Amino acid sequence: MISTATAVFLTAVVQLLLLLTVAPLVGGLIKTLKARLQVRRGPGILQPYRDLHKLFRKGMVLPETASWIFSATPYVVFSATAIAGLMIPMISAKAPLGLFGGVLAVVYLLGLGRFFLALAGLDTGSSFGGLGSSREMTIAALAEPAMMLAVFTVAIGANSTSLSEIARVATSTTWHFLAPAQMLAFAALFIVLIAETGRIPVDNPATHLELTMIHEAMILEYSGPYLGLIEWGASIKQLLLMTLLINAFLPFGLRAAWSLGGLLVSLAYLLLKLLVLAVSIVLVETANAKMRFFRVPDLLAMAFTLAALGLVSTFLF
Amino acid sequence: MILALLLAVPLSACAACAVSAVSAVSRRRSVLEAVNVTAFAITFLLALAVASQVLRSGAISLWNGFLYADALSALVILLNAAVALVCSVYAVGYLREDQRLGALDGEVGSHGAEAKLRMYYSLTPLLVFSMLLVTLANNLGVMWAAIELTTLASVFLVTFYGKVTSLEAAWKYAMIGGVGLSMALFGTLLTYYAGHKFPGSEGVAGLNWSILVGQAAQLDKPSMRMAFILVLLGYGTKAGLAPMHTWKPDAYSEAPVPSAAILSVAVLNCAIYGLVRFYVLTSRCLGAQYPGSLLLLLGLFSMGIAVPFVLVQKNFRRMLAYSTIDQAGMMVTALGIGGKLAAFALMLHMTFHTVAKSLLFLSAGNIYQCFKTDLFLKLKGGVLKVLPITGAAFCLGTMAIVGLPPFSLFQSEFLMIRAAFGTAHFLVGALFILFGLGVFTGVTLHVSGMLLGTSEEPRAAWHPWRDTPIAILAVILIVIGFWLPADLLELIRRAAEVVSP
Amino acid sequence: MHTLQDPEFGNKMVTLMAALVLVLQIAMVAQRWIVTNIRLFAAQSFLLAAIANTIAYYNHAPHIYVAAVLTLLAKGILVPIVLERLVARIEIRQEIEPIVNIPLSIVISGGLTLVGYVLAEPFYRPEEAPGAATLGHNALAVAISLFLIGFFMMINRRKALTQVLALLCLENGLFLAAISLTYGMPLIVELGVLFDVLVAVMVLGILVYRIRETFESMDVSRMRRLRG
Repeated sequence: MISTATAVFLTAVVQLLLLLTVAPLVGGLIKTLKARLQVRRGPGILQPYRDLHKLFRKGMVLPETASWIFSATPYVVFSATAIAGLMIPMISAKAPLGLFGGVLAVVYLLGLGRFFLALAGLDTGSSFGGLGSSREMTIAALAEPAMMLAVFTVAIGANSTSLSEIARVATSTTWHFLAPAQMLAFAALFIVLIAETGRIPVDNPATHLELTMIHEAMILEYSGPYLGLIEWGASIKQLLLMTLLINAFLPFGLRAAWSLGGLLVSLAYLLLKLLVLAVSIVLVETANAKMRFFRVPDLLAMAFTLAALGLVSTFLF
Repeated sequence: MILALLLAVPLSACAACAVSAVSAVSRRRSVLEAVNVTAFAITFLLALAVASQVLRSGAISLWNGFLYADALSALVILLNAAVALVCSVYAVGYLREDQRLGALDGEVGSHGAEAKLRMYYSLTPLLVFSMLLVTLANNLGVMWAAIELTTLASVFLVTFYGKVTSLEAAWKYAMIGGVGLSMALFGTLLTYYAGHKFPGSEGVAGLNWSILVGQAAQLDKPSMRMAFILVLLGYGTKAGLAPMHTWKPDAYSEAPVPSAAILSVAVLNCAIYGLVRFYVLTSRCLGAQYPGSLLLLLGLFSMGIAVPFVLVQKNFRRMLAYSTIDQAGMMVTALGIGGKLAAFALMLHMTFHTVAKSLLFLSAGNIYQCFKTDLFLKLKGGVLKVLPITGAAFCLGTMAIVGLPPFSLFQSEFLMIRAAFGTAHFLVGALFILFGLGVFTGVTLHVSGMLLGTSEEPRAAWHPWRDTPIAILAVILIVIGFWLPADLLELIRRAAEVVSP
Repeated sequence: MHTLQDPEFGNKMVTLMAALVLVLQIAMVAQRWIVTNIRLFAAQSFLLAAIANTIAYYNHAPHIYVAAVLTLLAKGILVPIVLERLVARIEIRQEIEPIVNIPLSIVISGGLTLVGYVLAEPFYRPEEAPGAATLGHNALAVAISLFLIGFFMMINRRKALTQVLALLCLENGLFLAAISLTYGMPLIVELGVLFDVLVAVMVLGILVYRIRETFESMDVSRMRRLRG
């Protein structure tokens, strides 16, 4: 019916809209589920939308000592994560945007966002910002290699770093996800997901106490629309990583066709898998206490070793 | 039939002593002692019977090849049974003295002297049972399980006195022994694999030594290579070869003396026996060069390690332990040299070492109980004056163990050196002599300082239970330097033939 | 049902479970709570019994079932119960910092896994029996890695009870090696080994208890009186 180019463009638009709208929903879902497990009522699934609405209407206060980095960071973070999000196959097996490097580009875009965020934390001149930035960088130093290795493992399995190719290979091989390399990379990426999205046991997203915050410390000085952009960007990053985890390892239900029916089916499967993953994250958060910061390297070293073993096992198993 | 009896006797003695707590009559110390001594006397007689039967009709087996005794097994059984008997007689006097001195009350977790005696008299037959099982088991896996059982049975013998140092010694013993034996199990597993590359094996017969020996040439070579290394490390740990020897001095100085004697002599014999069995398999599969060089390496290293530790030793019981390490190294070196002469020398050495080392340990026990210390510094000399018979025996034992002529060990060591030079292992022979000299110097220095001179202690009385075994052993030691009964010599010769036909 | 009969599926399941066993072992290296370590060991023994059962099913070797059930009972249930009771009596729940810190020990364990693979290489002979060969390769490599990592844990950890656990992991590795190489050893040998393991746990348990009583801690590096 429609030409391929138009179809790709439409898919890109749809995916972008999905990213922007579904991301806060996922965040709200996780918060509410966690509250229900703790026998509270919780703020409601739609609360993040209300929060964003409120933030974009409020006035902003900027620190006097901040430079252009402070103002640029929200935009950089938001756009980097949005572009990275477009590179992941969410509703169709072919991702709308295919930048050079495939999944590596995704990792680096996320790294770009983190880099600017850390600089912004330092830029404010407050001690909390510096504290948050240094902790964030420590975690990043361990989590990123683990993520890279896990991603390489999957890439080697598909002989390409393009996520579309990875998803295609994963769908076409029977019992593909039962291979130890996949399982190990999955486990490693799950731990990295927890670390990157700042969930318990690595970081507590609901706290503002000095001892316990990492991500919150970096953005402590932000307010108004800037804060809204950063929070939105953070939730897009969370959705992005969850989708990466789902569709690189368990991409069944992902349709390659550009037809409307195919897209709707893929969307349904995606939402279902997101729900399952959200529930597991909530279970992990509820069952564990936040680790002391000095213990976090233990967890991430384990993720690194799992990813390394997964990578090695593609040659050995 | 006789083999089954041989196993049953110590096992029943163990059971009898263990349950003796049930009635007040059977709880008495004299009952425990009587059960032990009679059991070991019967075991010794049965061992003699086994040896004569093997001499007459070749290897005997029972239960479809499950138990198997050839000349090598018969020799080791005989030696172990003799040691067990002698030590059980000695233990009666030793433990009675300990009870009198109050040494049995212990610092940690006091069990009461009675419970401790019961533990000793039940564990020792269990230990002897497992040692007999080692030598009788045809299946290499069962042999492994029996050696592990010797470790487990003797752990609580090491903690007998309940001192802080005993716990430390027992922990080291258990841990190092455990790890070593795991390696040996892996080696046994690989041997099984070498015999049956394809899964779906034939069951028990697959690990029977008597069957594997016949098929040795067809065993899978790379697996046997790895298997031998693992078994050498594993059973070498049990034998006390360096660098896995660190548990020995602690365990031997903390255990009660009769147990230390059994551990040092009989269990060492069993470990060497295990090594010999695997050596035969490996040498027939891969040729004598490969296992021989590994054995030489570890054996010479053990002999070398013993020298400095003997020279700077402060404690005569630990010195005896290092001497055992040295002797184990010597026996393993002889095994590694290979050839008929070396194998014969090994068997002779095993026999002579059994007599000499048990004599040494038992006399050391007497000295320890009399002077209540095992440090050279505190002894200051004069043992010969205070304990004439014990001192003389200790002196004889020392001269024998360092290899002075005309004692028996000199002959076996001389044969080993001759074998070394005969098979062009010149470096081996030279190192052997060098390390022997080192140990000789150290031991003679310390022991002469200990034995000669004067002391303020009064001359001790004659204690029948403790001094008779020492006297008998001393006489045997002197006699075998000149003459061995023909049957025993034949048994030793046949045992050497098993190693190197 | 057809999938369950497919030996390829069996191979994949065994490989997956072997990888899980490896993950559990590395988790034990990373773990500081002793009770969690004991439970990880129990889970590992369960998995080993499951692996044995799977191999028995797909290769029509019924005598492995017995070994699998025995392992399950002894190492999956009995030993963890004994050890947990011991921990309750001793009241020490946490490991002190090991000699090599935890992230480094995890990486070392990863390295030892690679060594295990290299050592298992000579046993990988696909020309002889195709299905069993890959099985042997993966499971044997994991077994040797388990052995090496257990050995490393023994040197690295300072609490007596964790050293006992490390010894038991060594035995687990041996069991897996036996299953994958030769479909288990003769039953009498398996019985002997299991019996020894049980007795060893009893003996070591009593020793650990007495060490705790004497030294007021299970730190074996405090036992330094015997030297020379």
